[in-house]
Amino acid sequence: MADFSWNTQSPLQRALVAGHHGVPALQAGVVLTEVRNIVLVQVMARRGKAADTAKAAKKLFGIEPPNSPKAAFGKSATLVWSGPDQFTVFAPRADEASQLDAMSKAFAGSASLSEQSDGRCLIRMTGPRARDAIAKFSSLDLHGDVFPVGTAANTSVDHTAVNLWREADGADGQAVYAMLVFTSFADSLWHTIVDSSLEYGVDTSSTRAA
Amino acid sequence: MSGYSQTEPLGRTATMEGNTNARGNAAAATQSHRLRSGGLIDRKAPLEFSFDGKSMTGFAGDTLASALIANGVKLVARSFKYHRPRGIITAGSEEPSALVEMRTGARKEPNTRATTQELYDGLIAQSQNRWPSLRRDFLSINQLFSPIFVAGFYYKTFMWPAKFWEAIYEPLIRRAAGLGKSAELPDPDHYDKAWAHCDVLVVGAGPAGLSAALAAGRAGSRVILVEEDSRLGGRLLSDGGEIDGMHAEEWVRRTTDELASLPNVRMMVRTALFGVYDGGVYAALERVNDHVPVPGPHQVRQRLWRIVAKRSVVTAGAIERPIVFPGNDRPGVMMASAVRTYVNRFAAMPGRKVALFTNNDDGWRTVEAIQQAGGDITAVIDPRGKVPAEYQAVAELSDLRVLSGGVSDVKGGVDGVRGVVVTDSNGRTQQIEADCLAVSGGWNPNVGLSCFHRGKPVWRDDIAAFIPGEAPNGMVMAGAARGEFSLGACLRDGHAAGAAAAAQCGASGNAGEASEAGDEVYAISPLWQVKAKGKAFVDFQHDVTASDVTLAQREGFESVEHLKRYTTLGMATDQGKTSNITGLAIMAEATGRSIPQTGTTIYRPPYSPVAIGALAGHHRDENFHAWRLTPSHHWAAARGAVFVDTGLWKRAQWYPQPGEKDWLESVTREVLAVRNGVGFCDVTTLGKVDVRGADAGTFLDRVYINAFSSLAVGKARYGLMLREDGIVMDDGTTSRLAEDHYFLTTTTAKAGPVMAHLEFCRQVLWPELDVQLSSASDQWAQFSIAGPNTRKLLQALVDPSEDMSNEGFPFMGAREVKLRGGVTARLFRISFSGEIAFEISVPARYGAAMAENLMIAGKPFGVTPYGTEALGVMRIEKGHVAGPELNGTTTADDLGLGKMMSKKKDFIGRVMAGREALTAPDRQVVVGIKPLDAKRRLRSGAHVVPRGAIPGPDTDQGYVTSVCYSPMLQQWIGLGLVERGRERSGEIVRIHDPLRNEDYEAEICNPVFYDPEGVRQRG
Repeated sequence: MADFSWNTQSPLQRALVAGHHGVPALQAGVVLTEVRNIVLVQVMARRGKAADTAKAAKKLFGIEPPNSPKAAFGKSATLVWSGPDQFTVFAPRADEASQLDAMSKAFAGSASLSEQSDGRCLIRMTGPRARDAIAKFSSLDLHGDVFPVGTAANTSVDHTAVNLWREADGADGQAVYAMLVFTSFADSLWHTIVDSSLEYGVDTSSTRAA
Repeated sequence: MSGYSQTEPLGRTATMEGNTNARGNAAAATQSHRLRSGGLIDRKAPLEFSFDGKSMTGFAGDTLASALIANGVKLVARSFKYHRPRGIITAGSEEPSALVEMRTGARKEPNTRATTQELYDGLIAQSQNRWPSLRRDFLSINQLFSPIFVAGFYYKTFMWPAKFWEAIYEPLIRRAAGLGKSAELPDPDHYDKAWAHCDVLVVGAGPAGLSAALAAGRAGSRVILVEEDSRLGGRLLSDGGEIDGMHAEEWVRRTTDELASLPNVRMMVRTALFGVYDGGVYAALERVNDHVPVPGPHQVRQRLWRIVAKRSVVTAGAIERPIVFPGNDRPGVMMASAVRTYVNRFAAMPGRKVALFTNNDDGWRTVEAIQQAGGDITAVIDPRGKVPAEYQAVAELSDLRVLSGGVSDVKGGVDGVRGVVVTDSNGRTQQIEADCLAVSGGWNPNVGLSCFHRGKPVWRDDIAAFIPGEAPNGMVMAGAARGEFSLGACLRDGHAAGAAAAAQCGASGNAGEASEAGDEVYAISPLWQVKAKGKAFVDFQHDVTASDVTLAQREGFESVEHLKRYTTLGMATDQGKTSNITGLAIMAEATGRSIPQTGTTIYRPPYSPVAIGALAGHHRDENFHAWRLTPSHHWAAARGAVFVDTGLWKRAQWYPQPGEKDWLESVTREVLAVRNGVGFCDVTTLGKVDVRGADAGTFLDRVYINAFSSLAVGKARYGLMLREDGIVMDDGTTSRLAEDHYFLTTTTAKAGPVMAHLEFCRQVLWPELDVQLSSASDQWAQFSIAGPNTRKLLQALVDPSEDMSNEGFPFMGAREVKLRGGVTARLFRISFSGEIAFEISVPARYGAAMAENLMIAGKPFGVTPYGTEALGVMRIEKGHVAGPELNGTTTADDLGLGKMMSKKKDFIGRVMAGREALTAPDRQVVVGIKPLDAKRRLRSGAHVVPRGAIPGPDTDQGYVTSVCYSPMLQQWIGLGLVERGRERSGEIVRIHDPLRNEDYEAEICNPVFYDPEGVRQRG
């Protein structure tokens, strides 16, 4: 019988060429990273069960899910608001099956779960010119007063839905933005981001979620 | 006025201080009209450029216009209609005359205003609209025929015969009366678009704008200051003055420094605001790299900004207006403020003997500017007949020749002004020697931006000008833009507006005090036109004369909107910035109405020209729109697949093999491989929706025409949904994976609209249902595996514990299966090809591996990947409807699916589908169509008419929707929508295709051409 290997492939298999692109610079203006190996689950409260869902989330992740466009950071997961009575759970992938199993158990009866680990691609963007580059494809006002750490938005880029939130600032003090995009659009969006960043110099890489 | 130029007289410019290198000395040699010192130019940075092939030099800080003036060039253009010699009239973006063709080759850019083009080393510019040369222009003969080139000339002349218009007249006219020619090569430069956000947007960085930005910035609001010029300062750069006891130049420097030190203030130069939109969105064009030969690596040429602002303060200043008199378009006739700009800011003298024609005090500033630069003022013509008090000392000191009256003619030729004829109130004329005539007819506040939301400007008699009326929400005007002309007033007004705007945005900091300056008197006695014999121009760019305006009035085009369209007044690239008000003033006089009664035309964006490239930004060529790739895309590309754009998706259309001569051969091979063996196709592009919740079944019952609550877990069902109006919306298979979990699929094209429709139903129509929806389209890589050997292939792929027998996995079964190697997949036994077929889904990360593993598992059975063309051929052979039939006009019954409509339940579209016209017996319904001549290629779009009928609207009975070459029937076949089609099986009809000039006969038949009993897919 034939041998089947099930190698996984990122949607950025071709688009992501790790290294420096654009204007040569000692410090790249933009640092762009694909975050691989993620678990992503959309949690949607059953009718009338929003409070139960929040309670279950608190129990499982130690944090309340946000009820407005925000991201909440727990020890094991980030909960990102994605609509009324729903949120997306983002966690580094460890033992995927047991992670999903734990969620199924925790939300049994209170919420429907839709696995999206393969349905979205997570892109992280930082660097002193990240905001300038993002301004070329996003209409969001990312000024620190308006969009502090923990703010989230369901927005659109190139007419495509994107979830964007601001993570904790990097060690260098720079703002860090996370973007979730539909897998099939990732190649296209990556090109748009890189093209927008070339004039500032951009470092690209992929990393495993941690 | 305390100008910059403490200069020595002209004629002593041969050697200039600061130029110690050879190139600098060479630079000086060509600049016959450059002042020896002064100006905001960098004499240590000489720049070479060429105009019409002639090499010249200028300095950093010059515009092309100022450099041409410094080189003594007066003739720079030929006019639009009469090909009259033209020069430089203004020093700003309102320039109507000095349009040139910039750059060469692919970067060639016509109609560039020389007055806004910054000089750079190596700049190449050409004059336009002339042949063979600017000095000897053949079509200047048009001037001799000028009596016939009046307003409405084209409409009156080129009327007969009508068919000549498109083929002959229009191309001819366009060639004769054009401006520049655009490049015919793709633009090699990049453009992009960006968003910016602020509390207070300040438009224009003159004294009012700088004051507004400083006040708003000090108060702590987020400020964006945009300025179309490359420098901040506005008229202060040209007219100087004293502010807070310091020279204006010093004040600009200090203010700019303070603004730069405020982190909440962003200054954007070379950025012209051109549009005002709803919700406080403004559009601006930043000319990032128009001032260099070629943008640097990874740099854009221009950037389109969309600025979102809570408040805006428009301090866009005012535009000086010409006076209409014969010869007012001669090269060397220039706005008085422009003369001062060239002298003071650019140290370039427009003429050696300057005459001044002004009806207002401000024009008199020009006297001092010229005199201090060492120039000669030969006369001042002021119809008011006396020297303004402020200038009496100057006039007496220099024994100035002051004439009462108006300029009634300007003598000169291609070389420009040679003399000025002045007629006084008694009709006596005298000629004055001059090579430059500075003109000021007063100032028009720049009301444009305030009128973009249909605000009507308001007339003010004391300044004889319109000021802004009701501005768009959130916008205020300040300074000269609202008729506050004195420097002191501009500073106060700007400061107050900036402070107020910041406070309205919640900023509570201290805005500080307004800077102080004097309040010079601005007195004006309106004068629009000096009536005398000869061509007197109102609109320089479109060659509209005063007599064109009065002719329009005589012919009944009295409304300003009619005047504009009949004469084309104000319709050129300058949008009439220097001509509109004057034109309507002349119309007002001709009709005996006041100017406000006559009114203004509607102001519309863009305020200044915007390149299409900037509007497109990044979205051109391969980036025209976003794209979507399936997980097996790179795998397919590596196998040489030809891709087709379906919506945003790139789909493999077919996989050419070596030796295949065309697509038909490849597609036919793929079809036969499936029908005789096994093949697979990536169908990831189908929309997929997880429908969950206790009421998921009820929800789907209401959405689909057929029942889904009765569907057993582990089964799939074909579903059809209607729009509210009873027309078919979409179709697809939906499977029940658990009691409270359905997996719904849509067509590729309708994935987005169906998801939006379902969300609307869930959130708005039936919020009481316990239903949750999520798009799973991208989560799963999905492949259709089809052909008699499908089961064998799958048995090699799935875990041996899975029962893949016909009983163990029956037709329309749907469940999870384990694959060899440890991956879990979803398997659906559904067929679009008529063969035994499955669709298999794995998480997208395994999509590429799945394609590879299907090849491995199917190798013993000759597995063949196939594309969307073969998919289409097989669905047509089976009579399955798709996009061309689900075309937004067809009912379920039209598609042959009427029986699916449940009578036991309600569903969206049920009632409206029962309307008379939607159930009429003569509707066009789906049929099969087969040409009688088996070699004949059927084409979609061809009309179906009865045999023997004359084709036409009355006999038209439908059309061919989908066609293919059927490898199984070995001929072209198709589906069509034909009137009463199902009753007419076997009838011979005429296929009429006027588009391709084809006419032939075909038979109407059962749309299921192949295996009509459906034996194969159940086997």
